[in-house]
Amino acid sequence: MAPEMSAQALWFELMQFYIREAWLLDERKFTEWLDLFTDDILYFMPRRKNVLRRELHREVTPLGDLAILEEDKRYLAMRVARLDSGMAWAEDPPSRTRHLVGNLEVTPLATGEVKARTAFLVYRSHLETDSQLLSGCRDDVLRNIDGAWRIARRTILLDANVLLDKNLSVFL
Amino acid sequence: MGAARSYAVIDPATGKLDRRIFTDEAVYADEMEKIFGRAWLMIGHESLVPAPDDFFHTYMGQDPVILTRDGAGRLHALLNMCRHRGNRVVRCDDGNQKRFMCTYHGWTYRNDGTLEHVPGESEAYYSALDKSALGLVAARVESYAGIVFATWDRDAPSLEAYLGDARWYLDTVFNRCDGGMQALGPMKWLEPVNWKTLVDNCSDNYHVPTSHLSSARVQTRWLGRPPLSHEDQFQSPNKHAFVNGHAITFREALDNAPRYMHGMSQETMRLFQDYHDATMPEAERRLGALRARRVQLANHSIFPNGILGFRLALPRGPRQTEFWHFVLLERDAPEELKRIIRIGSQANNGAAGLFEQDDVDNWRQVTEASTSPFARRQPQDLSMGLGHAGPHPDYPGLVSERYISENNQRLFYRRWQEFMNADSWADIALDPISARFDGIATMRG
Repeated sequence: MAPEMSAQALWFELMQFYIREAWLLDERKFTEWLDLFTDDILYFMPRRKNVLRRELHREVTPLGDLAILEEDKRYLAMRVARLDSGMAWAEDPPSRTRHLVGNLEVTPLATGEVKARTAFLVYRSHLETDSQLLSGCRDDVLRNIDGAWRIARRTILLDANVLLDKNLSVFL
Repeated sequence: MGAARSYAVIDPATGKLDRRIFTDEAVYADEMEKIFGRAWLMIGHESLVPAPDDFFHTYMGQDPVILTRDGAGRLHALLNMCRHRGNRVVRCDDGNQKRFMCTYHGWTYRNDGTLEHVPGESEAYYSALDKSALGLVAARVESYAGIVFATWDRDAPSLEAYLGDARWYLDTVFNRCDGGMQALGPMKWLEPVNWKTLVDNCSDNYHVPTSHLSSARVQTRWLGRPPLSHEDQFQSPNKHAFVNGHAITFREALDNAPRYMHGMSQETMRLFQDYHDATMPEAERRLGALRARRVQLANHSIFPNGILGFRLALPRGPRQTEFWHFVLLERDAPEELKRIIRIGSQANNGAAGLFEQDDVDNWRQVTEASTSPFARRQPQDLSMGLGHAGPHPDYPGLVSERYISENNQRLFYRRWQEFMNADSWADIALDPISARFDGIATMRG
């Protein structure tokens, strides 16, 4: 990140980054989407439990517990590659998705990386009448590599305890 | 309750299955009474409630149940329903509490189910309330190697008799080590499918090279996993065994080959092999040489709704099932190995699982076919391998000749029918325990 960049300019640049990412996903350009991640990406989706208010520190399951997703670049690449096999039945015929991303908050870190938090609503329509609305937030760490932003860590927090969806075959 | 119904849904001579059992509301209501009201149901694992006063919220079929460990360390399975008006007394997934208070009127229960406090007991109730008869409704609880089961039926046989010789196979995974296992999870999601479609799929290895080829291929390429093909499966010496409604797939392993686990790849194989070799003396001591070295459990289901290692298919009406996925790890295994197995398991299974995401639409369409007015009159064809199963000299249960066979699905629906036509446990047959359980492993672990 250029040190002289103003907070406003950084926010604008990252918002553009997230809008670009949403279009890549909704236009099913998954190979290009995969390039947005660093090689050491941790793509993490913990579970969310019902706990009493006084125990909210236990609401989100920590790294090391069973997660919904805890993927490295290789596993993400496998997910993307299988879509082109002609036999990835959960997504063939493919879902119709719409990713809406907003509420961006940006916090530069001492490492030169940037913490970026966004909220999302993702609508998925599949086959004839299946549909789902996924709501949640992403907690990302972004790294600037050769002038381009890359996602080095993504934590996805879904606003659900029991997922109401037949499967989770779309990317968030 | 309507008049007793008589079920004839599977034709043993042809394997034709009446598909109305997947969507009929009256059949479902009957299942809740005659199967989920009677059978031993997997509800959790002792490691989910390790300390005194821990609780874990679970289900017996559709009924919400609190698995508790009381202050003295005893396990209880308590219906999560205040005896006053019916509210849930627990609304958290887990925790540690000595008491559960109903948030409606404040009736308060101890974690062994005893009703301890009722506001206004002397004033409003004139001390006439018999609190001793109003504890939380308790199910019978028994454990097998840390896996907790419960049943509502006082006349049910022991869990040991219920599992029968299926335990001969299950021991090879769940009773393999002195330190026992620990459960992580569950991941929970709701599938628009009938609960039976998930269970019978456990014995359906026939679908794997079609349904899961895309994921198998990328894992061959990226992880060095062996390729998957129909041909390999048809030639496989692996078998199915069936005992008391429980369906077992097992492999006759080469000596010294570790059992297939999620997370295995070319680069992690050494870790699995080293661990397998290091723990073999312990496994042999616990299970005997045959079971420790040669019998490897693969997919399996515990009648009615416990599946695939440690997962639950919880019915939510004829056309919905809440699926719970846990991962079970050997507690004393190296942390690095546990991490690899956990990540492999959650990458392959669960709502987002590379393999599992491709299963749901299959089960969904099987379920939906049973709602269409014309389609529902056409039976399922479960004829594969008819007449090619029977007793085996080395292995307990009814054993199929081949790995790819619909023997276990036919027998699963026959067992279902037996439960549905029974008036009580007196009408439900159990195979006698006849296997030789070498080694020191017991029901308790």
